[in-house]
Amino acid sequence: MIRVRAKKKLHTSDGPMELDVCFESGVGEFVTLFGKSGAGKTTILRMMAGLSEPEEGYIEVSKEVWFDSRKKINWPVQKRSIGFVFQEHNLFPNMTVEENLHFALQDKKDAGMIEALLEAVHLTEFQRRRPAQLSSGQKQRVALIRALLRKPKVLLLDEPFVSQDLELRLKLQEEMLDIYKRHNASVIFVSHDFSEIFKLSDRILVLDKGRIQKSGRPDEIFAAQTISGKFKFPGVIVDMRQEDFLYIVTVQIGNNLTKVVAAENEVRGLSTGDHVLVAAKAFNPIILKAFPKENQKT
Amino acid sequence: MNTLMGTIVDIHSSDMISMINVDVDGDIFSSIILEGKKGPFHYKLAEKAHLLFKETEVGIAKNLSGLISFRNRFPARIKKVETGPVLSKIILDYRGKWIESIISTRSVGDMGLKEDDHVEWLVKTNEVSLMPIPQ
Repeated sequence: MIRVRAKKKLHTSDGPMELDVCFESGVGEFVTLFGKSGAGKTTILRMMAGLSEPEEGYIEVSKEVWFDSRKKINWPVQKRSIGFVFQEHNLFPNMTVEENLHFALQDKKDAGMIEALLEAVHLTEFQRRRPAQLSSGQKQRVALIRALLRKPKVLLLDEPFVSQDLELRLKLQEEMLDIYKRHNASVIFVSHDFSEIFKLSDRILVLDKGRIQKSGRPDEIFAAQTISGKFKFPGVIVDMRQEDFLYIVTVQIGNNLTKVVAAENEVRGLSTGDHVLVAAKAFNPIILKAFPKENQKT
Repeated sequence: MNTLMGTIVDIHSSDMISMINVDVDGDIFSSIILEGKKGPFHYKLAEKAHLLFKETEVGIAKNLSGLISFRNRFPARIKKVETGPVLSKIILDYRGKWIESIISTRSVGDMGLKEDDHVEWLVKTNEVSLMPIPQ
């Protein structure tokens, strides 16, 4: 269980703003902070990590008090059970991938985890390389698994998938989600990517001008502001072709490729790689049993 | 996608399905949605909403007589007909608003559709999506 109550005056590009938030999160819960830049998302992560100090409030994780302004408690970064992946990945340039990961280990008995994690993020062949010999996506993946090696109670992720190409991004999201669930870590996640948030989050906190305006499941948060279609999925455009007056748009939804027929005015401004919401009236889809009845187990 | 804007003037609900009527400059459009008395409901009387429907769901009729179950049928004038090998695009002037319909080129031929024809366009209630406009 995480309990956070924090107040802090911030200076943003829009002028001074008071961050004033209060939230709780359960063990193993995946919570996304969602909002415009400057809403205070990254500051919350930094306060939880111990890199920024609230003026007033407390931070409690599994009954340990990491911060309490009244009792003058403020644990240093290294004492807090956290793993973090920020946009800049801060790997040691003079160490290989493997050495970076070994260095991060708190308990040398966990060295066995390294091999499995490297394999999970497709970096086994790169373990003897130094960060400079890796692409930014690969460096980010090293940072993602490094965050797990200390078996942290809380993972703080700030746009951790930005540098990944589309295909790998989808794969990584699934694998990381699986790994996080297995480690039972609570995740506090910051992202602007709609389809990513929808897929990963258990709960979303919508931040605006330093306050939590709304909190709820992804479907609750996004349903109210979108169209009445009950058949809707976030996806990514992988192909667009024109045929007569129509465009055949191929959209990747999860691991499936689907085709959507759209008129010219619908595809205006869209291109391959764009994140979209595919919606239809719930009346249109046809539902068929996937297997003949006799083959199904009862 | 065709888009029209109007005001919600009537909501008729069962437990999980509702028929919502929207007034667009005096014409009443109907949309059926999968929200009802049970569960969350996102529409309110007198609120503004967008009506969205695909070009491929808009049918065209000429000299239509007798009864028909389509609730959304409105008169329009054909502004332009663009024909392709299989499909054609009909651009309609509906009370000064632009509505597009994509139908088969065969139907365009069979019906002899051409510019300035007076026709009716139809769209089924369950093909019309509603998007409330935040106040």
